[in-house]
Amino acid sequence: MPKQSRKTNKAAIDVHHLSVSYGENKVLDNISFQIPVGNVAAIIGPNGSGKTTLLKAILGLIDVDQGSISVFGNKLKKQRDLIGYVPQKFEFDLNFPITVEEFMGLARKKNQPALVIEEKIKEVGLTPMILQKQLGELSGGQLQRILIAEALFNEPKILILDEPAAGIDIAGEKMFHDIIDHINKDHDTTVLIVSHDMAFVSKVVDQVICINKTLICSDAPKIAMTEKNLKKVFEDVNLSHHEH
Amino acid sequence: MITDILFYSFMQRAIIAGLILGILLASLGVIATLRKMSFFGEGVAHASLAGIAVAMLADVAPLPIAIIWSVLVALIIYWLERSTKLHSDTVIGILFTASMAFGVILMSQTAGYQPELISFLFGSILAIRSIDLYIIGGLALIIMLWFVPSIKQLTYLSLSEESATVSGIKTKTQTLLFYIALSIATVLGVKILGIILVSALLILPAATGRLLSKSFKSYFTVSIIISEITILLGLFLSYIKDLPSGASIVLVGTAFFLLASLLGKAKT
Repeated sequence: MPKQSRKTNKAAIDVHHLSVSYGENKVLDNISFQIPVGNVAAIIGPNGSGKTTLLKAILGLIDVDQGSISVFGNKLKKQRDLIGYVPQKFEFDLNFPITVEEFMGLARKKNQPALVIEEKIKEVGLTPMILQKQLGELSGGQLQRILIAEALFNEPKILILDEPAAGIDIAGEKMFHDIIDHINKDHDTTVLIVSHDMAFVSKVVDQVICINKTLICSDAPKIAMTEKNLKKVFEDVNLSHHEH
Repeated sequence: MITDILFYSFMQRAIIAGLILGILLASLGVIATLRKMSFFGEGVAHASLAGIAVAMLADVAPLPIAIIWSVLVALIIYWLERSTKLHSDTVIGILFTASMAFGVILMSQTAGYQPELISFLFGSILAIRSIDLYIIGGLALIIMLWFVPSIKQLTYLSLSEESATVSGIKTKTQTLLFYIALSIATVLGVKILGIILVSALLILPAATGRLLSKSFKSYFTVSIIISEITILLGLFLSYIKDLPSGASIVLVGTAFFLLASLLGKAKT
């Protein structure tokens, strides 16, 4: 997949000597890496390796023990408006009566026209007809695309997705890859994805960040995804469990 | 018959207070049920008994003291939920029984029959005095002035707290304010519905509204309408049959819920 986004050497996200603990349990230990502007980067690692914790730290959702995270060279708090986020788990009562349009309206800012909802829906390959459906009626893939559309409301300069392709069929995956490509190229948005999908990581992303409590690698897939590195990341975990 | 009911000033006050509480509790109830906080209302209402007992011993108006007490309980629940690993239900269960036990001990120090206590426990249409009406109306207005512009934010953070935080919503502040608003609204309803039954008005209209709605807008509207009709019919029944107002309102609300359940089943 050829990339045309404006990549620079400037860091969109700069994680510097980051450590995070939950009580006595150290989840991330002295992690440092940079994601250049315009990159599509993926964080890989086995379950419990600290991927989601790292994402939460980057989003400013949790307190860190030490280290710093800067976004476009500034402190995270000042740059939150530049980040869009698609959560891994969206657990809600499927019978809760709310239409897709109403759900998307929750994230729309007062100064944004109502038309922005239709605009973003089309951008993720859905038709406005879906707006009248109830949120609980959507398939996993449709809900995922709605969440991505919602995250695009603020025209984020960084889009962060936590295991977005989980539970999506092959056709849905292809559509998802196209959407990520469109967001990256046409919106000049840096994308950071937590993923278990090795095929996606090796084909689509520019940078792989491998972690297992500590940083194992942070480089282009061809350089980072060596047998030695993957063995170190996944230790005794059978890799086939992580491939889709 | 209706003109007879409206003739009495105590009924006028009960109806006005009931209609205000109907809007307030049904609106907050929609968010409370979405957040699975139905037990919170139950806990705060029961905990308010200690506040009422303190006021009775000190011979001051019970409603303001009960409100302050319940807000304190809500703040402790909020703090304990976040500072311990205990489940919300456990924290609420401990606090409400402790506060109620304290109330019972205090009540036992008060000699003789306590008619006001009985009306607080079971609700009474005679219980709403003019000052109570002002307190209910004033506090309900303040809560709604915050709640109405916050509905979108509260719904969003109830569905996905992380996404709401990233989008810039002050989730901790809004959650705390919701806890305070919910505790005040619950105690405001105690005079008509009683400590034991007040939380039903948080749950029943919202549960009935959910069964009859397909959009969030209609969910809110239907829940409020059901709540208002429930209160009016309940008060009417309470007056005609000389029944406790709280129990009458809750039974009417339950009848609506059962009807909606049957309607929902018939549709599917």
